[in-house]
Amino acid sequence: MTTRLVGAPLTRREDARVLRGETRYVDDIAIPGVAHAAFVRSPHASALIRSISVPQPAQADGLLAVITGRDLDGLRPFPVMEPNGARVAEGEAHPVLPLDDVRYAGQPVAAVIARTRALAEDAAELVEVEYEARDPVLSPRASDLALMSWSRRTGDVDVAFAAAAHVVSGRYALPRLVAAPMESRGAVAEYDAGEDALTMWCSAQDIHRSRAQLSHILGRDEASIHLIIPDVGGAFGSKGVIAPEVAAIAVAAIRLGIPVKWTEDRLENLVGAYQGRGIEGDVELALSADGRMLALRARLWADLGGYLLTTTPVPPHTAATLITGVYDIPVADVEVIGARTHKVPTGPYRGAGRPDAAYMIERLVDQAARELELDRIELRRRNLIRRFPHRTPTGLEYDSGDYEHCLDLALELAGRDEPSRTRPADTARGTGIGMYVERAGGAFESARIELHAGGRFVIDSSSSPHGQGHDITFAQIAADRLQTEPGMIELRFGDSASSPGGVGTFGSRSVAQAGSAVALAADAMVGEGAGLAAHLLGVDVGAVALTAGGFVGSPEGGSEALSWPELAEAASDPARTPPARDPGPLEAVARFESANVFSSGAHAADVDIDRETGQLTIRRLVAVDDAGTLINPLLVHGQVIGGVVQALGECLVEEAVYDEDGQMRSGSFLDYSLLTAAEIPPIITGEVETPTPLNPLGAKGAGEGGAVGALPAVANAVADALGGRHVEPPYTADKLWRALHEPVSGTRSEPMSRR
Amino acid sequence: MRVSIVINGRAYEDEVEDRTLLSDFIRHQAGLTGTHVGCEHGVCGACTVQLDGEPVRSCLMLAVQANARSLRTVEGLAGPDGELSALQRAFTEHHALQCGFCTAGFLMAADALLRRRPGALTETEIREELAGNLCRCTGYEGIVAAVRAAAAETGG
Repeated sequence: MTTRLVGAPLTRREDARVLRGETRYVDDIAIPGVAHAAFVRSPHASALIRSISVPQPAQADGLLAVITGRDLDGLRPFPVMEPNGARVAEGEAHPVLPLDDVRYAGQPVAAVIARTRALAEDAAELVEVEYEARDPVLSPRASDLALMSWSRRTGDVDVAFAAAAHVVSGRYALPRLVAAPMESRGAVAEYDAGEDALTMWCSAQDIHRSRAQLSHILGRDEASIHLIIPDVGGAFGSKGVIAPEVAAIAVAAIRLGIPVKWTEDRLENLVGAYQGRGIEGDVELALSADGRMLALRARLWADLGGYLLTTTPVPPHTAATLITGVYDIPVADVEVIGARTHKVPTGPYRGAGRPDAAYMIERLVDQAARELELDRIELRRRNLIRRFPHRTPTGLEYDSGDYEHCLDLALELAGRDEPSRTRPADTARGTGIGMYVERAGGAFESARIELHAGGRFVIDSSSSPHGQGHDITFAQIAADRLQTEPGMIELRFGDSASSPGGVGTFGSRSVAQAGSAVALAADAMVGEGAGLAAHLLGVDVGAVALTAGGFVGSPEGGSEALSWPELAEAASDPARTPPARDPGPLEAVARFESANVFSSGAHAADVDIDRETGQLTIRRLVAVDDAGTLINPLLVHGQVIGGVVQALGECLVEEAVYDEDGQMRSGSFLDYSLLTAAEIPPIITGEVETPTPLNPLGAKGAGEGGAVGALPAVANAVADALGGRHVEPPYTADKLWRALHEPVSGTRSEPMSRR
Repeated sequence: MRVSIVINGRAYEDEVEDRTLLSDFIRHQAGLTGTHVGCEHGVCGACTVQLDGEPVRSCLMLAVQANARSLRTVEGLAGPDGELSALQRAFTEHHALQCGFCTAGFLMAADALLRRRPGALTETEIREELAGNLCRCTGYEGIVAAVRAAAAETGG
């Protein structure tokens, strides 16, 4: 290949539409006669439903219907995934609308459909629900019901612990977080009774999973559901499972025979959209006298909420399997219990178990260095995984990586431009390193490519974007392989009527899986083009070579060129296309599937804590990420910075706070803070590119690394500033002031009680 | 009541309820859906438009309050021939947008800032001036760089 678009920082092509205000998000879709839904929500975290009294359409202006759980006979609750080796409780899946009880404050109880959203909200006030409130269970450790569990014990862990020179333990907890995409969730449903066809426009991460969930819940063939993903205003994991409300409006549209729209408002999103993190654990590490890691024990409790949504079991499983991090720990005994609590369910949020694991193991390694009186970096170096593929004791296979290179580069960048050395008086200063490995890729995606008049290629990708920049990235991949310009390549996404098969956009997998499918489809197109060129030139296909803009062949007596536009024309000409082939555009389809690939990185943080106020200042963050081969470094940089800033928000301010009654107290953007431009420290990035051998691009994933590495780096810097004392994020002034001023009850950790 | 609001130089006249938000009037009655609603409680700034040249949050105003006044929205930023403004061009050059949902609000706030404070702005000034708008995707780096570049270009 002579052109090298892979690796070029090209700008995006969808930007112009956004900048002109010409995008179409789901609430922008205007269908004449569309009705609107509002939802009656449970005020209780846990309650029996005694009765529901609903107004009749004549009793409220514009009211069309009220739907409750009793009207949903025949509907199934959400389908639930079973991660590899996990046990998942039966009968605990989230219902569309409940029949007998409610299990979190904010749970939708009744759908109210009216002519306008305002009238639907008015009519919702007339729905009377009689509840019998019960005491909620709010702590996962206090719960007596496991919605999921997973455990794995490899090797003789007890012997390793018994023989170890040192045992270091820690107890860690991450609060629940809200993904808070700027566009909350929503959908429009339209039903054609004649065709028995349901069309849904949905603010979702992908068509495949959303459609499969709807199909399962509604008991309707996937083929009878036309799903369209319009522009999507961010997701960060929170739009990979449809909202129960979306299934409810599908039912409403089918029953009423009119289109129905639901647009979630921000207050609904904060209390009702599945949240992330919410995990705690006891982790214990056995080390030799010279600091070799010998064995690890971990027992984790995840706060899964009142029900299982489709992907609720996934993040705790991911956290448990990644708990040994970047270290070569031969044996481990790991268990995670996903407990039922009376809160909104959890699910994937950027990182989805990866930051959880990195936070716990990286804090524990720093604690081990402190107790063994070893340098934190040296202890890491002695234990980093250096040979690949590496099988972890938790059952994962890391494909490739260069963890020490990431560490060295992070240290170099951190040492190069140190932030001001002058430390204000009354300041506790700390530095920290956080390393991570990230499960990315995996499962399949596909792509279909067609050659059109003028040499223009149209590619249907099975993966759809919600801000990542699939369009130019995939165009770069294809253009290199087709020896054409990105401007000749059009990408199409997000319509189940034209999409080839796939799984979805999540877990930093789009480039590795869907990008590889595009690469293979482009390669197959080159094969098709070569075949046609050979036919037209009357030569063997082996005598035809790809060159800039098309092919050259060598018929007797010289060399002849055939451009892609010429091939496009010939392919549709019955007189020129081979007799065995139907005239029409050249076409190729490819499917790509691989095992997981593993991105990695090392982040470094510098922090100051004001001793007077406890105020934390993150002075600088260094992020070194290895996402394999980078296709578009401009967009990768955007992913890294965006992820880092979400992690910094997690460190500084973000927490879904619940009171003792199970009411979420951070239910507005005034109380659930997102960082603003004025609160971001300098961020320095560095890239390491260790290609994966598992796909044709060498690409891994860049979507989550920023959000994974920055958390343990800041956590270790904060603990360093506090002289080793451990505090859980978010690092509010209140907590840090107490940590600085309240007496310490011994810094050496005690071993976990034997289980 | 009946209101008449000029948006991007064109008068939109319609019946509204007393409680109709300006953001809903712009989006659903004038049909200008480039303005987005992110929180409806005045924090995120996605719905920022310019009212008589000043940035306002259209979710915190009633449509009736804008009666007989003049608004500018993201659809009115490009030149009459459709050419993107220096600020809009800088947004794409500096990768200042990912999902795009907050972008209109940032553009309207930054456009007003550049008119109010012509000439080069420091990074700190830009960060403080834009602290009334939330972006969940970009971490703000590209947005700040874009506004800085546009400030240098338009003020130079």
